[in-house]
Amino acid sequence: MDTSVLYNVPHEIPWKVYIPLYFYFTGLSAGSFILSTLSTVFGVKRFKPLALPAAIISFLLLLLAPVCLILDLRQPFRFWHTLVPQYFNSTSALSYGSWLLTIYPIANLVYIYYIFVNNDRITRILGMFTVPLAIFVHAYTGFAFALVRARAWWHSALMPGYFLTSALLSGIALLVVVALIMDRHRKEPLEAALFRDLRLMMVGILLMDLFWNGSFWLTLLVSTADGYVSILYAFHEKLYVWGELVSGMLVPLVILVLPKTRDDRVWLCVASLLIIGGVFLMRYSVVFIGFEIPLS
Amino acid sequence: MSKILKPQSGALLADGGLGFSSGKPDSAATNAAQAVRPKRWAMLVDQRRCIGCHSCAIACKSENNVPLGFWRSWVKGIQKGAFPDVGNFFLRRLCNHCDVPPCCQVCPVQATVRRDEDGVVVMYYGKCIGCGMCIGACPYDARFFNPIRNTADKCDFCAERIDKGLQPACVDACPSRALVFGDMDDPKSELFQGLASLPTTVIKPELGTHPKVFYVAAERSLKGRISYSEDFNEQILDYHKHIPSPDASYWKKGGKE
Repeated sequence: MDTSVLYNVPHEIPWKVYIPLYFYFTGLSAGSFILSTLSTVFGVKRFKPLALPAAIISFLLLLLAPVCLILDLRQPFRFWHTLVPQYFNSTSALSYGSWLLTIYPIANLVYIYYIFVNNDRITRILGMFTVPLAIFVHAYTGFAFALVRARAWWHSALMPGYFLTSALLSGIALLVVVALIMDRHRKEPLEAALFRDLRLMMVGILLMDLFWNGSFWLTLLVSTADGYVSILYAFHEKLYVWGELVSGMLVPLVILVLPKTRDDRVWLCVASLLIIGGVFLMRYSVVFIGFEIPLS
Repeated sequence: MSKILKPQSGALLADGGLGFSSGKPDSAATNAAQAVRPKRWAMLVDQRRCIGCHSCAIACKSENNVPLGFWRSWVKGIQKGAFPDVGNFFLRRLCNHCDVPPCCQVCPVQATVRRDEDGVVVMYYGKCIGCGMCIGACPYDARFFNPIRNTADKCDFCAERIDKGLQPACVDACPSRALVFGDMDDPKSELFQGLASLPTTVIKPELGTHPKVFYVAAERSLKGRISYSEDFNEQILDYHKHIPSPDASYWKKGGKE
């Protein structure tokens, strides 16, 4: 039967670009922080030169992230309501998130101080407590989406995991760029093995992200009508296909795997920059493709 | 209380057109009983009676001072078939006042809650930080940012009116008596009798939100939004084939595609 909607009232998308930017910054921050703890907590000595710059980058990004979040509020001066214990909502991911976003930068700062004064034992203990915080501070954003049953594009158990791995990916890519810059200005150059390790980590996580994506598409294609339309819509979205998937994942993967390009520093830098852009587009498409599917 | 909320039945306008003045002494007598038993306000929308006049939407706007271009409740219109066999159908839309509200689940500051005493989902505008999470989480697209208040806003069954024993503005305004408002748990209410004797549906029951707005004769093509075809491209276009609302920029963009 032919039916057409004569009129309806849709509502505007409540979020601006600050929200994907915020996810992007916390992701970068959590990713670089975990990379920083590789040497201080997990004892991989090769990453020692990166520990301090990674921690500092992660702290600076953490200052940017809440700014984005507060800028997006319609009542920015009421942001402190999220930290009032009486207002705490135990079913809301955002409630937990605002506390994590308050505690984590403080823990991060203390951690940086102890790396700075070269106190390995205390750094290690602090790092052990801060790593879960870093993981949760980013995983909660995944839960904020996964717990929304209204939108099939978000309502997926894969979300928190996907958010975490892509956070790690963007963190590593950022650190690769930083390490390449450091390498130029340091007296003793960084080991080639460090770059090889970072590259292998990126390849592994890229493959994992592709796996997440594949499972996401398959489950959505045989999901409810909403899920089916979401995935069809996503496949018609150029930013998603060409931006996130091709230039953000497949091209860097090829660059990092091909024997011709994988050991070249310039190609490594290009791949890292592509990944950094691709992860932002991933955040962007998660947020806005979800909103593009009309609900009424 | 049940008497008060009986919509203008029988002797319409016999008590000055207000429908509640005769109920006053009655409500005083049952005050003690009210305190014990929580209410569950609900609405029954009889699509067979709806004539698509939009009185409910206009009454809602003037009662709640909703800014121009924004709607707490509205009427969705669809057309079925092709000339000469055509039918126009209307779906009255408002907040569904879910028993398990997804918006209250996600609010980080408890600015929107389901009131225990009557099951109405209300907003506390002074608490709301305007993060927009509830707007994204509502499966019925019933929430929006109020540009004057700068907080989230929604239909609250005219909470101030029902607290005083009145009916929501839309129910009073409906000329064809398509809207019935009442207590779901009160066997004497017209709503209860309607729910018991008519086949009713809710929108998106599969989400487990347990909405309290019930529809009589709301068919799938009215409630749904997705039409099927074999061609992927056509399907996507079909999906976006809505008439844009004049002031939602989102749809201005969508309408061009």
